[in-house]
Amino acid sequence: MPADPATSSTGNEHARMLRDSVADFVKRGTDIKRVRRLRETQPGFERPVWQQMAQFGWLGILVPEAYGGLGLGCTEMAIVAAGTASALTPEPLTAAAVLAAGAIMRSDNETLKRELLESLVAGASIPALAWQENAGVIDATQCTVRAEPFEAAIKLNGGKKFIAGAAGADGFVVSAQSPEGLTLYWVPAGSSGVTLDLQPLADGRTTGTLQLNDVVVPPSHVLASAACAREALEGAIDTTLVMAGAEMGGVMGRALDMSVDYMKTRVQFGKPIGSFQALAHRAVDLHIQRELSSAVLDDAVALFDAGVTGTRRSSMASRVKARCSEAGLRITREAIQIHGAIGFTDEYDAGLYLKRALTLSAWLGNAAQHRRRYAELAVTHE
Amino acid sequence: MTPPDFNALGDDDFRARVREFFAQHYPPHLRFVLRRARLAEMKAWYLTLSRHGWIAPNWPREYGGMGLDTGKMIILLEETERYGVSRVPDHGIVQVGPILMKYGTPGQQQFYLPKILTGEHIWGQGYSEPNAGSDLASLATSAVPDGDDFIVNGQKIWTTLAHDSTHIYLLARTSREGKKQEGISFLLVDAASPGITIRPIRNIAGHEEFCEVFFDNVRVPQANLVGGLNKGWTVAKALLSFERINIGSPRRPQYALKRLEQLAHAKGLFEDPGFVDKFTALELDLADLGSLYARYVEVVKRGEELGQEVSMLKIWAMEAWQRLTDLLIETAHEYGGMPGEHSMDGVDVDVLSPFYYARPGTIYGGSSEIQRNILAKYVLKLPS
Repeated sequence: MPADPATSSTGNEHARMLRDSVADFVKRGTDIKRVRRLRETQPGFERPVWQQMAQFGWLGILVPEAYGGLGLGCTEMAIVAAGTASALTPEPLTAAAVLAAGAIMRSDNETLKRELLESLVAGASIPALAWQENAGVIDATQCTVRAEPFEAAIKLNGGKKFIAGAAGADGFVVSAQSPEGLTLYWVPAGSSGVTLDLQPLADGRTTGTLQLNDVVVPPSHVLASAACAREALEGAIDTTLVMAGAEMGGVMGRALDMSVDYMKTRVQFGKPIGSFQALAHRAVDLHIQRELSSAVLDDAVALFDAGVTGTRRSSMASRVKARCSEAGLRITREAIQIHGAIGFTDEYDAGLYLKRALTLSAWLGNAAQHRRRYAELAVTHE
Repeated sequence: MTPPDFNALGDDDFRARVREFFAQHYPPHLRFVLRRARLAEMKAWYLTLSRHGWIAPNWPREYGGMGLDTGKMIILLEETERYGVSRVPDHGIVQVGPILMKYGTPGQQQFYLPKILTGEHIWGQGYSEPNAGSDLASLATSAVPDGDDFIVNGQKIWTTLAHDSTHIYLLARTSREGKKQEGISFLLVDAASPGITIRPIRNIAGHEEFCEVFFDNVRVPQANLVGGLNKGWTVAKALLSFERINIGSPRRPQYALKRLEQLAHAKGLFEDPGFVDKFTALELDLADLGSLYARYVEVVKRGEELGQEVSMLKIWAMEAWQRLTDLLIETAHEYGGMPGEHSMDGVDVDVLSPFYYARPGTIYGGSSEIQRNILAKYVLKLPS
């Protein structure tokens, strides 16, 4: 057997092991029956499965080794994100281990940062990031939640929306405007003055709305000072855009495979329907979309792992989210059409893939929003 | 003049050398001509390339080529597109040369190859026929043995620059037995042979880039057979995988994108969210093509063969290019229906030339529909 160059370096060995663990997990730990069973339940996922993910090391892939993580990169995280999403795994992996973890990692309260990251990596505590306040906004600086001095502490007032992974979260990283500027605070779930509402997402999971009424936060819970809060949020959001793209890659890949398989076996007019050129060409166009998505994602992951910053980082993230959202929605929509009436039934899995694509596409900005953002970034870049 | 070993240069150094070479030698009035330039216009450039040993970048150095490796070849092509350098009539260099090196007899190689380098022989491709387009293997032009010759009868069409060619390489039917692909032979034909009539065909852009060629009892020596009797299909198909990737380069549509950007700036369209979305979608179509293209380039650079999946690049590159020029004429409003250069909001733009120039890419070299058939069959493994 020829030597596989992909296993020659340590980094790629990690990638291979993660790929194996994902394949193994998808085969044993989760299945579509479980996905169906957990739809429209609270919190919509299972803590034992979350624990298993922690044991695999997935929750700490992006977390530096000094904080108990594996200190790996987007390359490895993308493998896990794509693999779990292709099985429609409902656990809030990217919401907690990429988005919330990304903000915490970039914060400057060392004590709190260590505590939060270590318990996240161990699977003991699940954080969620609450930064967004209005639909259609990708700008982390658009923040109206107020943080005011209150005796020896801080008082938070305002509201946050579209919080991914809010159901089952043990606490929230909340952005607020303090007298010093944009700041991040740690607010444990159930704190006095905190109200969490959960709203259903198309795929059977939920998104959170947080109301903060005179929520008192001790100084020890100031997670990121104004010196680093903005970059913490933007870095976390850009990374999550790429990982949402990876998840979409997993979803579209499986949906297209299902459709192509169906085209080979479904017989009408005495022939497999895949022999009809109208359908075959349609499948080819979807395949091209899948390959474009995967090529952009690969470029992005390499760029992020090389430490890209600023406008280039955000542009690349928007390219990924734009392409993958567009392609993912198109492939899953067309999967319904290719399957015909059976594709429109709840009992057939094609619909589950469309619904996951709908939620992933809408999360943190759809294709049109990211094309606009890409164009705006290009202008400021000039 | 023996060229240096360019492969020994670093990529950046080589790129700089190419830029310098173009800036120094390429006629400025021939940049971005947006049509297939005729030999009369390109002859001087052909000879310049020939004199400097740059005419055959893909040929090994022992045959008088530059012997570029794939990485360097891609840089050269990128710079060619970037600078807007027109193609010389290059069928001899791109097709006939590599084919003769692989399948030609020593005699054929010694006779033809040097004359391609010097520009003494200019080759045209005789493949398509009026009734054999996408279904090329059903071609009917016949070559019947007669003494030391073949007698060739039939008609070829879409022969690019045949009226500038001294020679034509031909696929002709030499057998009607068995599979239609197995009765085709590859012949080298002197275009001055008695019985050949060449008639230019005007295309929708008004240019005479291709021709129809009639063969009426044309005598072709049997010594001009390449690759053996009835082996023509194999010979014609044996293109280097490199040629298949080049057509998917994201560079070619860049010119139209730049013109569109320029026009849109002049018209203030970047204030219009509707336009910005359309423009950015196309910009990303090309950027993402770049990512996919780079992936295949890496495969070729590693010395691996490209599979049929490379058809994707051609489909996407050519169709994205067309969408881009569609938006260009839309953006030009009334001028979108007017040929030639016009002053629009202070910039001089010809929008119809890029539009026409982008049309044939989805037809030649296997139409987009044929490419989709290939992907469906060989990549998705769909039943036929």
